[in-house]
Amino acid sequence: MPDFESQPFFQIARRLEIRGGTGWLVVLNPAGDFTTDLNELQTELQSVLQKPVRVVELEPSTFEQLREALHDPDDDAVVLSGGPGLAPEKWRSLDIMRSAMERSGPVVLWLAPTDVANLANFAPNIRSLIGSEYFIAGPDGGIMTEAERQERLKELSEHFGFTDEVAVRKAEAGELPHDPEFVEWLVLLNRGDLV
Amino acid sequence: MTLESARQRAIALDSKTERQLADQPLGPPKEVFRVIRAYLLRRSEETDQRNNLYALLKIYTTNDLVQIDLGPPIDKGPTDSHFRFDSGARLCFGLTLCGVEDGSRLVAFRYHYTFPDGHSVKFLRFDLNDEVHPDPLAEPRCHLHPGTKDLRLPFSVLHPIEILDRIFFVLEKAIAEKG
Repeated sequence: MPDFESQPFFQIARRLEIRGGTGWLVVLNPAGDFTTDLNELQTELQSVLQKPVRVVELEPSTFEQLREALHDPDDDAVVLSGGPGLAPEKWRSLDIMRSAMERSGPVVLWLAPTDVANLANFAPNIRSLIGSEYFIAGPDGGIMTEAERQERLKELSEHFGFTDEVAVRKAEAGELPHDPEFVEWLVLLNRGDLV
Repeated sequence: MTLESARQRAIALDSKTERQLADQPLGPPKEVFRVIRAYLLRRSEETDQRNNLYALLKIYTTNDLVQIDLGPPIDKGPTDSHFRFDSGARLCFGLTLCGVEDGSRLVAFRYHYTFPDGHSVKFLRFDLNDEVHPDPLAEPRCHLHPGTKDLRLPFSVLHPIEILDRIFFVLEKAIAEKG
């Protein structure tokens, strides 16, 4: 597999947005849960592009079904999901309908990494729609690191003048106030059971 | 019209808040996180400030609850982790969600908006506590600190995005118009 850029869904969605919310690109799912990741891609596209996002399965769709799905409506965002992998024959038949697949809204091809070679070999017309827009689904940003968690706990402890252990003891005794800072403190200590 | 009747009205208000929270449909926590990030990204692009939302907004997940944070847990002055406005104002916030079936519900939040230097009111803080207070008249579950941490006035805007709407389109707009 060529050395494609790894990007979180957020950045991929932003890329589509910056391009005016149109065009084609490929997102490769390197591992993980295909369905869960697909749901997350759909949510991120919807949040950033501010338009409906439909998922269309490539494998069982016939030519007519696919054309109808892409053009009714024509301006929303569509994720064409290849499932675990598409056969060369499927790529050939998709390639024939290239002009029927052109639309005003963006299209994201959600594929397994092994699909790239077949796409290149058996669907040159679709490949021309995509250009160089291939990405590997990267880790989603925004996950709080352990260092960040510890820093927040330290700030809370210093501000309120007692330790994490005392905060837990107070919560267990029903003596910790219910302000949101204390709720966060318990959550960051993995003591959500005390909230 | 006694103090006791005022307390009863405050209890009723907290009950109403409870119902509103229960009736408020929110998406799964990660979806809420993504929606907030996309919203702030759009707002940031309308400013001249460099707010890197990808680095600023954080999510922490436990078995039971999810914490979404931007900026420090306690506002003690400007930091690089605040969301910065052209007016000179800054924002930090934290919200706690509990996952339920296909979505989530709000447990608590804190939105701390600090006005630019020289403003007569120093800050506004929108808080949702995780439980009702024994004295709901003095401390409604959902309350606003109008520039002082000891004063808590009730308010009813509960959706995470609706609060941001007020900050971006009401508070910031008022400062801009004031010049």
